[in-house]
Amino acid sequence: MGVVMQMQSGSAKKNFNPISALESTDLALFVRTSGEDILGWDRQRIVDALLRETYIDRDTADRVSIAVEKTIQSGAVKTVTGPLIRELVNAKLLELGLEDARRMHTRLGVPLYDVDQLLVQHNKENANVPHGPEATNLTLAEGIKKEYALLHVFTSDVADAHLKGDLHLHDLGFIDRPYCSGQSLEYIKKFGLNLPHALSMAKPAKHAEVLLAHMVKFAAALQSHFAGAIGWDAVNLFYAPYLEELTDKQVHQLAQMLIYEFSQQAVARGGQAIFSDINIYWEVPKHFENVPAIGPGGVYTGKTYGEYEKQAQRFAWALFEVYKEGDAAGRPFFFPKPLVHITEKLFRTEGHQDFLNLICEVAAQKGNTYFVFDRGDTAKISECCRLSFKLEASDLEDAKEPWRMRYSALQNVTVNLPRLGYKANGDDTRLFTLLTDQIGLAVKAHEQKRKFIERLMSLGKGGPLSMLAMDLDGQSYLRLHRCSYLIGMVGLNELVKVHFGQELHESDEAMKFGLKVIAHMNIVCNKMAERTGMKFVLEQTPAESTAYRFAKLDMSHFPVETARVVQGDHESGQIYYSNSTLFNVGAPMNPIRRVEQEGLLHPLIEAGSITHVWLGEANPDKVALADFVTKTFRYTQNDQIAFSPEFTSCVACGRTARGLTETCRSCGSDKVEGITRITGYFTKISSWNKGKLGELHDRYRNDNCFQQNTEEVAQ
Amino acid sequence: MIKGFLDTSMVDWPGKICAVIFLGGCNFRCPFCHNHQLVESPDSPLKSITETVIFTQLRPLQKWLGGICVSGGEPTLFHGLIPLLTRIKEAGFAVKLDTNGSRPAVLRDLLDHELIDMIAMDVKAPLEQKKYDRCCGTRVDLGAIQESIELILGADISHQFRMTVVPDFHSSRDIVEWVGAFPAGTQLKLQNYNPATVLDPERAGKKGFSPEAFTELELMITC
Repeated sequence: MGVVMQMQSGSAKKNFNPISALESTDLALFVRTSGEDILGWDRQRIVDALLRETYIDRDTADRVSIAVEKTIQSGAVKTVTGPLIRELVNAKLLELGLEDARRMHTRLGVPLYDVDQLLVQHNKENANVPHGPEATNLTLAEGIKKEYALLHVFTSDVADAHLKGDLHLHDLGFIDRPYCSGQSLEYIKKFGLNLPHALSMAKPAKHAEVLLAHMVKFAAALQSHFAGAIGWDAVNLFYAPYLEELTDKQVHQLAQMLIYEFSQQAVARGGQAIFSDINIYWEVPKHFENVPAIGPGGVYTGKTYGEYEKQAQRFAWALFEVYKEGDAAGRPFFFPKPLVHITEKLFRTEGHQDFLNLICEVAAQKGNTYFVFDRGDTAKISECCRLSFKLEASDLEDAKEPWRMRYSALQNVTVNLPRLGYKANGDDTRLFTLLTDQIGLAVKAHEQKRKFIERLMSLGKGGPLSMLAMDLDGQSYLRLHRCSYLIGMVGLNELVKVHFGQELHESDEAMKFGLKVIAHMNIVCNKMAERTGMKFVLEQTPAESTAYRFAKLDMSHFPVETARVVQGDHESGQIYYSNSTLFNVGAPMNPIRRVEQEGLLHPLIEAGSITHVWLGEANPDKVALADFVTKTFRYTQNDQIAFSPEFTSCVACGRTARGLTETCRSCGSDKVEGITRITGYFTKISSWNKGKLGELHDRYRNDNCFQQNTEEVAQ
Repeated sequence: MIKGFLDTSMVDWPGKICAVIFLGGCNFRCPFCHNHQLVESPDSPLKSITETVIFTQLRPLQKWLGGICVSGGEPTLFHGLIPLLTRIKEAGFAVKLDTNGSRPAVLRDLLDHELIDMIAMDVKAPLEQKKYDRCCGTRVDLGAIQESIELILGADISHQFRMTVVPDFHSSRDIVEWVGAFPAGTQLKLQNYNPATVLDPERAGKKGFSPEAFTELELMITC
């Protein structure tokens, strides 16, 4: 960033020595002293910069530099700074019609006013970023990297599509990192904590607590190299070999440590908790049954993971007991998110009904549990708000050496579906052509991001992504050739409303049309994948802020068309599109019908989907809920479900009660904090953006189904 | 007369997903009643729902539902109860009945015909005339209540006795007494009074028990 150096008239120093041009392209220290004297001024620096950074010729560069020199000497400017000179040069380039050169010579930065606002106001793009010096560092850095990405990594058609809101390129502020990462504990169990450039190196853990310490630090290191979620496969199973000597009390203690470690990590990057997921199995997944287990010290125990079923179950049980308790104030833990895999084998495994009842009790009381349905032979690792990586033949081969199992999505690009509806004007052919074009553009964006990451990775262990280049098992940690590229969607429901005239839940025909749209997206992704050799997969975009951003942009670009389509309260600006392929959140739908109907779309969305059942303050019967989960597995195609209760936590008395209220039910204080699930995770409502607040207001909470409010005292 | 229908509930039948049919009309006038619109049948403002409509809605949910809960009002007052339950059973659903126990003869009939699979009876207060009458807003035949309790305890189906506790109506001594009326091991359940939309807010009081106080009361019925 530019350094402003102002010198008072008469205080000029003869020996002033400007920094070498090679040191900085900012040429920060041009100093105007008084009258016509400019100390340290050297017009040649402008010429050098133009020749270095752009493709213009020497004569033109000379002309530009002379013109700028004149402006400065004219005395209109009292303080000359590097950034100012750069802008003067840019203005001159524009005058000469040299737009490309201006682009290349442009400067990235933030206006003073914005920085002032930022340091004081709260950034609400991501509710998982608190307010504080670390958070503003993150936001400032993200701001510059975002500009860099849009100017330098992506071509202008892609960047424009993002800026206009046709597409959303997620996590542009993290342009130099892949999107998210899913992995196995086996990597650190086998290799210890051995990171490039680390101050010290740790051998494989010998004790469960040390393994936990390694896991937490590794997760933090990964968070600094990925934009989003850090997921862990089969955590309870991979801990199992360390648990044999531990008493139940010690296992409970370890579970508590694990959950608190991840839920209190809001001291890391940007003051942001690591978005962490732990995959949990009651059974030993088939693909790990015969795999030799790694135990303390990183050595094989001589047993297979199949033999650790009981230990793994003990840990899974303890983890959910901790989730049930909640934190010290009885609130739900926000992270790590527990994703329980519901499989055929689960139902054949002893004790599954008790376990289901326990995780459903947690779901009803605290909402933590995610139920991930792996039907037939499907096996996957889940993370983020709903993302999952389906394991293919080569992955199952990797499962024999589970430390190899690490998955990454390089980027996520979301298509603004309702806008295509406004543009298509009721014409089917036009709609599907526009949709194909948008996916084509998303593919282009993915290719450009890949190229950029490849460039960084090619610098190897001396480069900026040294950690992702580490190759302890013979291949780089980030296996670029195995990465997937996500293509998401926002507002299928509103597209169907615009184009078809009804919302998804309103008729079977509307639903069929919705299916047709997603099926088309799926086919185009597959074709593009074949053509490019890159793995493009559809994902339901969590769209925490995108659902708001698209709605807002469309309201200004298509004021007439959006009037009856955009959800939320138009007056207050709490507007949004329905997330991804979700139905209208406010539709009073029976939860059975919701999981069935939304689930019809899920098989087409390979990289993950979810149905939310909002619970409000209701506390359903755990056994009935377990029955609901079992039947969702048996009778629907739904990929994943979660139940979301609401909480009010009192700052004054420290009590937490169910439901969202304006005052504390115990002490009456109005210093309360509402808590519920935003898109795929729990957070405080005070940190939500306006669009999500609008959605929260509209959510149908299934009160009748889950709450005893009618029959109980009638007789 | 069917006055209400809920196609999915996870709170009305312990351990099961069920649908709920609400029948209008009640012989009690509990001041803390939530369903007073159902109480005042046939003058209830609620429109009646036909059985056909209900069975059409139930069909696609058949494999999800563990049964149908028939509630009220007081279902045993409904003349068409036996045909209704017969039709539900014939459609392949299990039946849970919610009752206030004021009509043991009807209960006996239903049990004899094997029309119910679970029964939940509201026992409003300890079996003392004055207290019971006050909670029910009317003169109650305690003999009938006692008879229903014995009938249910002797029947070979799962059952539960429930009491909604209201601060101005139930003291902790009342609860001890209430629990004492049942043999050890009987399924008992307390429900906390919720002051929203009750029959007679003046008489019922403005507040339920605090969560902590209610938890303490609940402990009294478990030990």
